[in-house]
Amino acid sequence: MEKENIVELKNISVAFDGEQVLDGLNLDIVDGEFITLLGPSGCGKTTTLRLIAGFLEPDTGDVLFEGKKINGVPAYKRQVNTIFQRYALFPHLNVYENIAFGLRVKKRPESEIKEKVAEMLKLVNLTGLEKRHTDTLSGGQQQRVAIARAIANHPKVLLLDEPLAALDLKLRKDMQKELKKIQQQLGITFIFVTHDQEEALTMSDRVVVMDSGRIQQVGTPQDIYNEPRNAFVADFIGESNIVDGKMLKDYYVEFSGQKFDCLDKGFAAGESVDVVVRPEDVDIVEPEKGMLKGVVTSVAFLGVHYEIIVDIGGFKWMIQTTDEHFAGDSVGLYIEPDAIHIMKKSEYSGLYGDYSSYSEEIDHLSDAEEEEP
Amino acid sequence: MNKKAFGNKLVASPYIVWSAIFIVVPLIIMVYFSLTDQNGAFTLANISDIGKYKKAFGISILYAAVATLITLVLAYPMAYFMTKLNISSQRMLFMIVMIPMWMNFLIRTYSWITILANTGLINTFLSKLGLGPLRLINTPGAVILGMVYDFIPYMILPLYSVMSKLDKSLLEAAEDLGSDAFTKFRRVLFPLSKPGMISGITMVFVPSVSTFYISQKLGGNKTMLIGDTIEYFFNLGPTYYNIASAISLVLMVMILVCLFIMNRCGGNDEDGGVLM
Repeated sequence: MEKENIVELKNISVAFDGEQVLDGLNLDIVDGEFITLLGPSGCGKTTTLRLIAGFLEPDTGDVLFEGKKINGVPAYKRQVNTIFQRYALFPHLNVYENIAFGLRVKKRPESEIKEKVAEMLKLVNLTGLEKRHTDTLSGGQQQRVAIARAIANHPKVLLLDEPLAALDLKLRKDMQKELKKIQQQLGITFIFVTHDQEEALTMSDRVVVMDSGRIQQVGTPQDIYNEPRNAFVADFIGESNIVDGKMLKDYYVEFSGQKFDCLDKGFAAGESVDVVVRPEDVDIVEPEKGMLKGVVTSVAFLGVHYEIIVDIGGFKWMIQTTDEHFAGDSVGLYIEPDAIHIMKKSEYSGLYGDYSSYSEEIDHLSDAEEEEP
Repeated sequence: MNKKAFGNKLVASPYIVWSAIFIVVPLIIMVYFSLTDQNGAFTLANISDIGKYKKAFGISILYAAVATLITLVLAYPMAYFMTKLNISSQRMLFMIVMIPMWMNFLIRTYSWITILANTGLINTFLSKLGLGPLRLINTPGAVILGMVYDFIPYMILPLYSVMSKLDKSLLEAAEDLGSDAFTKFRRVLFPLSKPGMISGITMVFVPSVSTFYISQKLGGNKTMLIGDTIEYFFNLGPTYYNIASAISLVLMVMILVCLFIMNRCGGNDEDGGVLM
């Protein structure tokens, strides 16, 4: 059965004090999906969430819920609930009363509230902490109370505003799994806001990459990673070497002074393009066997692999490899056709994907260390 | 002796000396006078005579309670409104609330006479319209007005202080969970602003219940508040110091009991409120 759109944003623009925060945003959110709004701070992702919650009205454009326009419907009448960035638990109420808040406001009978709160506590593994004051809970427990409090109201859509940002790495990973489990268990649509690309990739059915109030790309995590639409997306999601290239014909591209087979087509012959090669897709070989030749300028050991910077005709590439190399080594690079991704030129071309500043930074740091007596 | 502790004591010593001379010693003198007769012999007669002044006590408490309630009702929305404004407007309003407090409160009270008097500002204006004159000065209403006017900043400031520290997302969370404006107020804003209310009520009620100047200037001599009673006896000369001290002592104990009960009702929210 085809799933229906539960939330639709139609041509939405919002400006604060003359500054454009959202610029002609269009987005359909499918019932039951886990969708993530991903972007740097100031990209408009939280604003988008607040529009759906009802804390903010668009200057132009419509917000639709189950096909009906809900512009002007106040937040308390909308069938959505929010998990706030710093949880916003009520400090004057204990855990039980926090979770019961929405049900009490709706004047549900006491027996139903009791049953529901117990069910929620079980769902988030907090059974036994009913009487605790929220400020005696750990960050992770507060997070769970916030989840329980929101879900107790049976929202059709749950909005999550960077809910894991305040947790430490280990706890964040656990909560990611748990949130995903809860979402699958309850079948509620989750709209999740984050600036953490890894979080977005691991949790989401679909990812919406945003920048400067506009959607840059919408797709599955695999689409976003493997087929970024422009240099911004390629750079924001993972690491990318982005070089200028020229499409000679379908499946054939020239960059860094060499010609390569690739899997992309549909460009005009001779069209200027951005070429993306992920650092983990490059093999380091003997200089004479390489398709490109260069000199290693810096090496960093990251545990799983080495991150090395290779200077190829003045452009610095990042390569991730499990083999050890040393600064000053001459190396060859071997790139498979399926490791090459071609993008049309965009406003972001030339801004990202060169690691020269990165390597300089490392050089600079190591210089500084050497100067120490 | 620990050097640091000694240093701290040294810094605090002027204030300790000050409090000893001007707070502790007068309190001891007051207690001494209330428990002795004119010859300095111990007696409880002054205290047991307090019953004679129960009317003054009653009126004082009633007026102070009404004035405190009015101040609360006026100040609460004002303080909330202030927190909604941008920072520069908040600062400006804050100043507007503060500035009258820099003026001597006797002068501020006096200025109300020129407004409320039978030939004052309001009645002059009314007579131009062919109305009045209204009886404004020397009424209980004028006394309560004076109390409200003089003490309202002490209500606004602690409320504003608590409300401006309130995390705005708590109100959004309440709305998100289905609360309309009134429910938001009742279930979140009101309970969380309680420490500010308790500070404000204390700081308005205590000076109101013990005032004598306001009632004399704005109430004529018709309403004898407990503060007036104390002043009256005190002015009669040393013979009456004992009874004046006894009334003061009882008033003080009553206020302390009120404060204790109020702070108990406020629960254990130590943070936010400013008890001066």
